[in-house]
Amino acid sequence: MAKKKTRVELELTRRDFVKLAATAAGSALVAQAVTTGPLSPFGELKQRQVAGGPADGHPQGEHHWGMVINLQTCIGCEYCQRACSATNDVASDKHWNIVLPDETANGRRFFFSRPCLHCQHAPCVEVCPVQATFVREDGLVMMDYDRCIGCRYCEVACPYDARKFIWEERTDENALVPTWGVPQVERRPRGVVEKCTFCVHRIDAGLAAGLVPGVDREATPACVNICPVGARVFGDLLDPNSPVSQVIAANPTLRLREELGTESSVYYIPPEGAA
Amino acid sequence: MTTATRERMAPTFTPGRLAWLGFLAIALTVGALAFYEVFSRGLIVTNLSDSVPWGLWITIDLSAIALGAGAFTLSAVVYLFRLKRFQPIVRLAVLLGVIGYTTALLTLIADIGRPDRFWHPWVYWNVHSVLWEITWCITIYLAIMLVEFAPVIAELRPLLRWPVVGRAAHAIHRLAPALALAGLLISLLHQSSLGATYGVLKARPIWFKPSMPIMFIVSAVAVGPAVTMAVALILEWITGKRNLPHDLLRTIARFAGLGLLVYTYVKLWDLAAVTYYGRTPGSSSAFSLLNEYTAYNFGLWFGEIGLGIVIPVLMFLVPRFNRNPANLVLGGLLAALGLVINRWNVTVSGLIVPLTYSPGVGVQLLPGSYTPSLTEWGVAIGVVGYALLALTLGVWLLPLFKTQPAAHSSGQFDPQGRR
Repeated sequence: MAKKKTRVELELTRRDFVKLAATAAGSALVAQAVTTGPLSPFGELKQRQVAGGPADGHPQGEHHWGMVINLQTCIGCEYCQRACSATNDVASDKHWNIVLPDETANGRRFFFSRPCLHCQHAPCVEVCPVQATFVREDGLVMMDYDRCIGCRYCEVACPYDARKFIWEERTDENALVPTWGVPQVERRPRGVVEKCTFCVHRIDAGLAAGLVPGVDREATPACVNICPVGARVFGDLLDPNSPVSQVIAANPTLRLREELGTESSVYYIPPEGAA
Repeated sequence: MTTATRERMAPTFTPGRLAWLGFLAIALTVGALAFYEVFSRGLIVTNLSDSVPWGLWITIDLSAIALGAGAFTLSAVVYLFRLKRFQPIVRLAVLLGVIGYTTALLTLIADIGRPDRFWHPWVYWNVHSVLWEITWCITIYLAIMLVEFAPVIAELRPLLRWPVVGRAAHAIHRLAPALALAGLLISLLHQSSLGATYGVLKARPIWFKPSMPIMFIVSAVAVGPAVTMAVALILEWITGKRNLPHDLLRTIARFAGLGLLVYTYVKLWDLAAVTYYGRTPGSSSAFSLLNEYTAYNFGLWFGEIGLGIVIPVLMFLVPRFNRNPANLVLGGLLAALGLVINRWNVTVSGLIVPLTYSPGVGVQLLPGSYTPSLTEWGVAIGVVGYALLALTLGVWLLPLFKTQPAAHSSGQFDPQGRR
């Protein structure tokens, strides 16, 4: 073996080369055809699954539930967080609603708060391998706790850090109960991902009782009801007369990381003096 | 055939073998305890958190699948491109593929929050999710590898009594080109989709880029065969039997070296584009944070590029190095190590950088931090123990290095038939 010049023989004919190129291109083509193309058996399925309907950022249903958070009036009392965590029985270190001190580019301090933003093109919905999370007809991004496998890809994909994984079976007592509210939903089991639901149980029950979410307190999310300064407004974005639509019409608003095209359902009135 | 079978006696237990089995038993016991801990108490026993929800186990998944890439690469070389002289190594490559993929699946069972629902991706489809596609591809490809491997199992002595087994194995063997084609297609898909898992996340500044799937597939195609080559040489040292001609292994090493160079090209361009030419405020602050909080640059330049690329490329491509099998083994192992470091860097680094979404500018979220817990290491030791045990049993019990069993040879693979 020593010192013997080894010759590399690659008996690669032109046909082989064409075959290799065709295989590589073919695999991309197969992926395209199987998932999107007009002949795709999944085409329609995908249309239904990819979040959001029409290009205007609204779902196809007759409602689109949304929220406005006024960062000029928020005083950072964290009542929204507490009412939320009591009503939805959320663990004390895994709040669905967060409130944080922040400041603008010119140094003015304000409080930033964030529920789940219920994106119409939700990155979490797009990546979930089992459709355990989905956008409902009324724009709500929902979780199916019975289907979630706990892979946490949605948590990694969410641009807003809105998702929390349940790392252990909960046995703790919720210290916020009953001062800040009484749990209206079951605790979620160990091993799935959870997040803010816009208090969907209140919306659905309220609608069934003929109430108007955002107007009638029984049909409105707990965080909105409890806010002492009215910094949160809720309602139907498709109804121009809803409180939320009127606030949006009357104020300059922004949505978080709009450049990602997530079409979130939560609008912010930016803090005074923000660039 | 008969002689070959007679050589394959039940393994005798020498002290060395017993010690090795004892070592594996310890690893598997540690793994079993760790798995029990995870299943009984949940993922709270890990050091993962909501800001860093993926860690060591995902790194193992990604690495095991990439290191198993020798299976599809070498199968394609032999059965699609008809480079028949590589046939003797295909069985080993497929065995390593099966081991890699099953190791990944085993680790995933620990990693998902609801292992009882592992079957959900097959029933509830989200065709828009790369993770869904990966789950399907991995399952299908594992099945393909098992079918490819079936003729090897069929040669086991107890099975030779039934002629129907031999005939079935023969029929399967005739399917080899079709299986290799399907394996190549599916592997090209999921090996790159594993990179796309990160590459499609538009909110993450250092992940979101189209080069991610390319770098994953190219590194897997380069390193997978190198690992197969290194394992073949190590087995030769242990068993004292030269099963494969060395010039064959050296050709594979050369291929791996060239593959690593292609990978380097893509990787350096990616680096230049992300950190210099196409720099954004997001990616700049992400990299400075990473270097402040982790040894990112060290891992990249010393681990991934120095150990994982430069040394293996020298060992594989420079004639005076690649004549020595020890250098080829060193290169193969270092390339594998570099790939593991890369998968770790990709997974953890992207998560350490906190998301920014507030309309303000104040630092609101701290960078994530993550060091695997003892239980996580326990599971890691267990799955590596499983992989080594599977390899050991495969080498002891299976006819891995028989080229073309007499009963199975047919005109099908004769290149004269088509040239």
